[in-house]
Amino acid sequence: MNAAICRRLLLTALLSALAIPVAAQVRIIQTNSQGDNIHLIDPATNQIVGEVKGVPINHGAAGAPDGSRLYFTSEAEQTLHVVDGKTLQVTKKIPLSGRPNNISISHDGRRVYVGIVSAPGAVDVIDTTTLEKVKSIPTKGGIHNTYVTPDGKYVVAGSIAGKVMTVIDQKTEEPVWTLFQEGVRPMAFETNADGSTKRIFVQLSDFHGFAVVDFAQRKEVARIELPNDVPPEKVDKGPFNASPSHGIGVAPDGKTLWVTSRPNARVYTYSLPDLKLMPGYVDLGGRPDWVTFTPDSKRLYIATENTDTVVSIDVAARKEITRIKVGKSPKRNITWVARGTS
Amino acid sequence: MARVRFSALGSGFWSLGVGAAALTIAILSVPSGTRAAGPEDELPDGEGKKILVSSCTACHDLTEVTKFRGYYDRKQWRDIVVTMMDYGAPVDEKQVDILADYLATHLGKQ
Repeated sequence: MNAAICRRLLLTALLSALAIPVAAQVRIIQTNSQGDNIHLIDPATNQIVGEVKGVPINHGAAGAPDGSRLYFTSEAEQTLHVVDGKTLQVTKKIPLSGRPNNISISHDGRRVYVGIVSAPGAVDVIDTTTLEKVKSIPTKGGIHNTYVTPDGKYVVAGSIAGKVMTVIDQKTEEPVWTLFQEGVRPMAFETNADGSTKRIFVQLSDFHGFAVVDFAQRKEVARIELPNDVPPEKVDKGPFNASPSHGIGVAPDGKTLWVTSRPNARVYTYSLPDLKLMPGYVDLGGRPDWVTFTPDSKRLYIATENTDTVVSIDVAARKEITRIKVGKSPKRNITWVARGTS
Repeated sequence: MARVRFSALGSGFWSLGVGAAALTIAILSVPSGTRAAGPEDELPDGEGKKILVSSCTACHDLTEVTKFRGYYDRKQWRDIVVTMMDYGAPVDEKQVDILADYLATHLGKQ
């Protein structure tokens, strides 16, 4: 073997070793809003492969971008629980300024933004280095959900009580603009080619559909109602927490928008960017709450809170794959890339 | 075909048989419209319960309230009531403390 071949083999071995120091594993993190546990689902097998315990009445979930940690809010203890990404053990509970709802995390993983639903409302800012609350951003009304925009530049907070969506500059952590005079529920984000936010699709209280917000214009440009295509005798009459449409997501490839209906127990698909309703739907068998996609846009997971299940859906075929039994009243879910956990 | 002689099975069998028959009759006697006990049935009657049932279940199941059993003190329950009023729950000012007292007494932190 000559020296050139030896060098090439050595280089190949070195690059291989560097490329696989820790296997990245995609996990669907499913909270259980009436329990104290959270389930980790492997989307490759649709099996539960892990469980976080000790987070009573859990609500929001976020994963550190480097896979090292998970964060969950506990409405019961009014804390942010910090969970080790490998052992899945709670390592710290951070006191919050009030009762929390949903959370989001900055792209660099240094900040967790916690929606505080207790009056008067706030977004608590958690420094993930010191693991302490460093700021409470006052809001008009309690905050139900927070999001970090896909480009990482803004934090968007929705208030049901305050009937407003507040856009906060991520760097200054100060509000920059607001919109709506209706209760603001889940949201999904569409991006421009450069990654900046193009439109936000917003679900609203007592509206069976979603509003379309042009981010640059800072205004609502359309409102789309979901189909009423279920026979009256089969329509679920609720109650739906005044939120007949709860659960919305843009597939990571940006090609489709998926919107759930509680009365119809279905998810509908709209093509992007034209927002045309695609034919058909997927039956969910219960009241949907939240949606999350795998990073490759191949699978969608929808929590149905009154059946204690998560529905796994083939995105391309727009067909149910299976239903996964989880804990009590599953609601928020996220997709997380774990490093070396179960 | 082997025939089972009941006498050979002893008095325990008969006790079991009578018990099963009684249970069957009892089950069949229950009116078909009877519903299963829910979280509402576990809560004692009172003015607070009337407010709770009338104002909360229009929007959500009562389990959304009872899931907090044992976690909150009176101040925290009152905060929940006020937050829900902000959401539109039909609770008037006079009812706030009645409901907060009721929740703290029957679902509060011990």
